[in-house]
Amino acid sequence: MPTTTNASPMSQRRRTLLLAAGATLAAPLTATAQASGEDIVIGGSIPLTGVFAFAGVGINAGIGDYVKMVNDAGGIKGRKLKYVPEDTGYKVDVSVAAYKKITSQNKVNLYYGDSTGFAKTINPELDRAGTTLMAGASFASELNDPKKYPNQFLVGPDYTEMFGILLKHIAKEKPGAKVAFVYSDSEFGRDPIDKSEATAKALGLSVPVKIMTPAGSVDVSGEVIKLRRAAPDYTIFHGYILAPIPEFITQGKQQGMTSKWMGTFWTMDSSTVMKMGEAADGFMGVMPYRYYYDTEKAPMLEKIRALRPEYQSTAYIQGFLAAMLFTESAKRCLDAGKPLDGKNLKAALNSIKDFDTGGLIGVPITISGNSIPVGRVYRADMKAQKMVAASDWIKL
Amino acid sequence: MRIGTLKESYIADAALFDSRTQKVWLAVAAALLLLFPFMASDYWLYLACLVSINVASATGLNILTGYTGLVSLGQAAFMGLGAYTVAVLETRAGTPFLLNLLAGGFVAMLGGIVVGIPSLRVKGLYLAIATIAASFIAHFIFANWKFTGGTGGLSVPPAKLFGLPLDTSFRLYWVIVPVTVLMLLGAANLFRTRVGRAFIAIRDRDISAEVLGIPLLRYKLLSFGLSSFYAGVAGGLWAYFFRVVTPESFPLLMSIFFLAAIIVGGMGSILGGILGAVFMTMVPELLKLVVALLPGGNELTVFLSPVRTVIFGLLIIGFLVFEPQGLAEVWRRIRRFFHLWPFRN
Repeated sequence: MPTTTNASPMSQRRRTLLLAAGATLAAPLTATAQASGEDIVIGGSIPLTGVFAFAGVGINAGIGDYVKMVNDAGGIKGRKLKYVPEDTGYKVDVSVAAYKKITSQNKVNLYYGDSTGFAKTINPELDRAGTTLMAGASFASELNDPKKYPNQFLVGPDYTEMFGILLKHIAKEKPGAKVAFVYSDSEFGRDPIDKSEATAKALGLSVPVKIMTPAGSVDVSGEVIKLRRAAPDYTIFHGYILAPIPEFITQGKQQGMTSKWMGTFWTMDSSTVMKMGEAADGFMGVMPYRYYYDTEKAPMLEKIRALRPEYQSTAYIQGFLAAMLFTESAKRCLDAGKPLDGKNLKAALNSIKDFDTGGLIGVPITISGNSIPVGRVYRADMKAQKMVAASDWIKL
Repeated sequence: MRIGTLKESYIADAALFDSRTQKVWLAVAAALLLLFPFMASDYWLYLACLVSINVASATGLNILTGYTGLVSLGQAAFMGLGAYTVAVLETRAGTPFLLNLLAGGFVAMLGGIVVGIPSLRVKGLYLAIATIAASFIAHFIFANWKFTGGTGGLSVPPAKLFGLPLDTSFRLYWVIVPVTVLMLLGAANLFRTRVGRAFIAIRDRDISAEVLGIPLLRYKLLSFGLSSFYAGVAGGLWAYFFRVVTPESFPLLMSIFFLAAIIVGGMGSILGGILGAVFMTMVPELLKLVVALLPGGNELTVFLSPVRTVIFGLLIIGFLVFEPQGLAEVWRRIRRFFHLWPFRN
């Protein structure tokens, strides 16, 4: 093969380019785990794109704002918080990749996960590593088990507890009422149904009909007829964000139904309910947090409003509260002189009794297990375009 | 400059790797694969395992779609069958993991053969729709059968090799990558056999193939079976890798992902399946790295995340427009360039 001693400028450039590209690709491979000094790291698998992006953007802003607030005030015992988010597109494999990436580049003490699937998938890794306490966007009842999920917690009541809060409210408002359950054919939708039927019966309520539909279905006329026949006093929707709830309510009202309509957390953001239009006037549901515009005394909400003058979603409040509980756990660990690992952080979290969230939750909270079983029923006031309280805070 | 390859026997003509250069480069690749786990961080090991699983499944689909010409949108469903078989066997029977993987492959193979039955009567888009049905049926079974854990799915204990739990990406790498390499070698060899050539004949013109004496139904079903076997084993590896299997783990979108991988990579080429799966899995991650290099912090991440998705979409479109034969063809052109260098080609 002939060799050339004077390579042409073209091939030299090409070779340089190839070398540069190779070096760029190889560089991250050599990046091994690096502890980031004294920072307390909060990692995050956050869905900034994909079907859950509407919540992810809020969650990301909530965590980011709280971290900034703590750092501006000097950190925790002189140690700064560091928030490292990664977009996941709400896909479990991407979310795990994000976890691996963040944990291999930082010494992660706290982590925020984006879905039930991710929480279940990463659990063996959390148990194995034992270094991290995790919370997340999921309220799956399955996760509310400290034995099975010792390094995780839910930032609110689980879905079964959300139903429990609604059913408790119904039993008080109208004893012996008939309650229909309408839920999506998904893990999310089916989650609380069986246990909640038993809870309803224990509270003296009856469940005349349970209707399962595909998530996000549009044509629900057949189901509405079934629902009308059962004539429930209350109808609880679960496992949807928006569709097909407005269809159910509109058609139900047209057919003379007098049921009160209710939803659970992911349906209950103010902007989501307002999108349902006039038909949803009086729509109720369970909310573990105060709304952004709530006028009752809440110093933390006032801080948030000063920081962000425009409306912030309930997902924002959820992210903000998650960061607050993370910080409190870390603080308690440091106060006790214990290292920040999964076990100590969880024990510190479980030592939280009658904790004041600055009004984000209207009553002092206690976290004895994996959830915060407290919430309030809110009602949509379409004229004011706001959610207004329809009950006191209900603890389970 | 390489000017030709002299072959002096039929055996040499049919050799899997025909030149010394190729063998040397393959040895280098094998050495790199062996060294990689000791050099890479947990994140890159995770991605290597994920890419490996995707390569196995994409290669399976390539046998069916690329080599036999039968379009399928059911690959994720067959992966699901494999994953659930492994999960059920591991949790209930406690059988060795290699046996579970094989069982996963065979159950998926049976599923594939059943779904392949309409392939004698329908082709193209019609067959694609028939295979979509497999996704819906599989999802319904996974979600409603108590044996599969309903919508909550099943948690899979780690695979064990000589009593050692394979619970980290590092340990799993030594199972996943060799299994994938074996499957790739199997697929490459398949097209040196009578069966593989029959597949290609069916793809090129099925009526002519039948005239030549190739029984169409038998070979089409065989192709479905083989492709699903690959998907089943990949699904089994997936189950051991993620350790949780739920009905929502294998959506229709995943089947589209594999179809896109072989189209982008190059249909009817083993290398195409590999390159396509690597491209589809790695480019979104590499784009993340690029975005992370830009200054701007948290707010910019929020803004750039959707932009990244758009760029990924545009890259796929770009490849299809400028290189419809896929990345494998790009690779062939690069090789040709170096073969003929320094002469213009």
